[in-house]
Amino acid sequence: MQDSELFQLSGLTAVLLLVGFYVTTFLMSLTIRQKNENVDGYMVSNNAIGFGLSAASMIATWIWAASFYASASAGFRYGISGPIHYGLWGALMILFIYPFGRRFRQLAPKAHTLAEVMHARHGKSSQLIMAVSNLVGSCISLMVNFTAAGALVSILSPLSFVQGVVIAAVGVLSYTIWSGFRASVMTDFAQLAAMIISAVVIIPIIFFNVGGTEMLAANMSTLTVQQADFFSSEAFLRQGAPYLVAVLAYAIGNQTIAQRLFAVREDLIKPTFISATIGYGAIVIGLGMLGLLALFIGLEPAGGNLNNIIPQMASAYLPPFAIGLFFILVVGSLSSTADSDLSALSAIVMTDIYGKNLARGRPDPARMLFWGRMTMVIATTVGVIFASLRMDILVMLVFVGALWGAIVFPVIMSFYWDRISNKAFTSAVISAVAAFALLRFELVSLQGPLAVLFELLASVGGGIVVGLMAFGFFGKTTGMVLGALTMAVLAPFSVGFLRDYVVLISSLTAYGVSAIVCVAVSLRSSERFDFDLLNERVVAFQGEQT
Amino acid sequence: MSALGLSAYILIWPVISAAVLAMLIVALIRDMREARRKGEEMI
Repeated sequence: MQDSELFQLSGLTAVLLLVGFYVTTFLMSLTIRQKNENVDGYMVSNNAIGFGLSAASMIATWIWAASFYASASAGFRYGISGPIHYGLWGALMILFIYPFGRRFRQLAPKAHTLAEVMHARHGKSSQLIMAVSNLVGSCISLMVNFTAAGALVSILSPLSFVQGVVIAAVGVLSYTIWSGFRASVMTDFAQLAAMIISAVVIIPIIFFNVGGTEMLAANMSTLTVQQADFFSSEAFLRQGAPYLVAVLAYAIGNQTIAQRLFAVREDLIKPTFISATIGYGAIVIGLGMLGLLALFIGLEPAGGNLNNIIPQMASAYLPPFAIGLFFILVVGSLSSTADSDLSALSAIVMTDIYGKNLARGRPDPARMLFWGRMTMVIATTVGVIFASLRMDILVMLVFVGALWGAIVFPVIMSFYWDRISNKAFTSAVISAVAAFALLRFELVSLQGPLAVLFELLASVGGGIVVGLMAFGFFGKTTGMVLGALTMAVLAPFSVGFLRDYVVLISSLTAYGVSAIVCVAVSLRSSERFDFDLLNERVVAFQGEQT
Repeated sequence: MSALGLSAYILIWPVISAAVLAMLIVALIRDMREARRKGEEMI
């Protein structure tokens, strides 16, 4: 199949779809609006959200517009196993964090942000590391989602890129600003339902319109050996493993996930996270299959850009009504993540900037709420400007990823090991980010003994990832044994091999260095932390007052 | 993987997605009823 003109909705249809979508979500948010909004409710609702809403919100937040495009790109590039190596690992990371999430909730049930808990555990510097990484991360996410809106609108309608960015930004801000996180959770359900219904309709229609089973049988021979292999090592090393390591960091470090963790009813954390794992995996892997189908039919992505695969497939093989559904699918995914980012940003500014620092622990609820809403307005404006200018954010994105990778071990262990100090936390993060930067930006030449050193550190990082996962589900002994075994098995294979996989070695090295430094500095410390203090130090700002 | 197996592999994901949505809707309705019975807000 060659490049062809993409089908476009009329300008009026596109505007009606966008306005209809955002007016509906705005009206939904009005049903929960309170005259005097409670600041705790604005950030984490009532800490007792039910299973249906919280699971839907987890899925909708975890899926952003880039999820579809990246999963389809993986299917197109790596073949049969490609979408699995995007969607499955992303899904499993939701599952992976729930044991730790339960521990966070148990120790600090009234928390609003993870940075706030780190402040109670360690003090300001670790709190600020968490807070700043989230401020930057959520602004980037906001910008990426607004960019996706602009791209979608400009590809599938006569409207311009900037018009798409502005409509999405105003739409998301309008329904999120009054009730914050509560509005985000409520609208997430409707947005997720729209996304799933769209996916359920779109995937089979495209499958049968490209020729179904007969087409697959006829074109199977066009795939390379690796693309046809369900257990492709190439797909795992190039796509699956780096993504697993990156998304693990995202799951632990990101406030949008932490916020939902603190909001769901405590006894529902496990079923919520398990359902979110299955839901996220099914939707993202399913849409990734469109990339696999594109590979089978020999589609050539317009302009060589793999992000065009899904719009091209939709345009070529969907009837007009289904293209409208696809439009809603993407708008729903980007809006649900953007409103979560706005809620996360406002919670961090309200709690970690205003509540814990400017107000020195004695915040005025009205002023706190004002700062939360102002944060949303400012963040939306920044997101629109950056998206409209199409700024290159790759370096920033890589740094935030590195920062989150570097904090995974110190954050998790800070809730289990009483010897970890603020100094251990901070020095572990700084040294890990420095090591990551050296490798990721190729500031050192990976040759000779230096390459071997980093490959061994990366092996330690691999052991840390496996060890942490095992620790979460099976406890300390299993975690330590499996972690050590992984390091021992990986080390001989890594030497002379991992240096060719820059993304993977740099991410794993960040995990390894942060763990080594954190443990080494902690072992030199005589401090012991009483975990009961967390519940005393992390309290509601306003309680039940309204 | 056979063409038939591959077809099932591609089409199973929308089925699972639909099942998850059905489960979430049932859970939401239960939560709404319970909240109404207790006179509490859901969010």
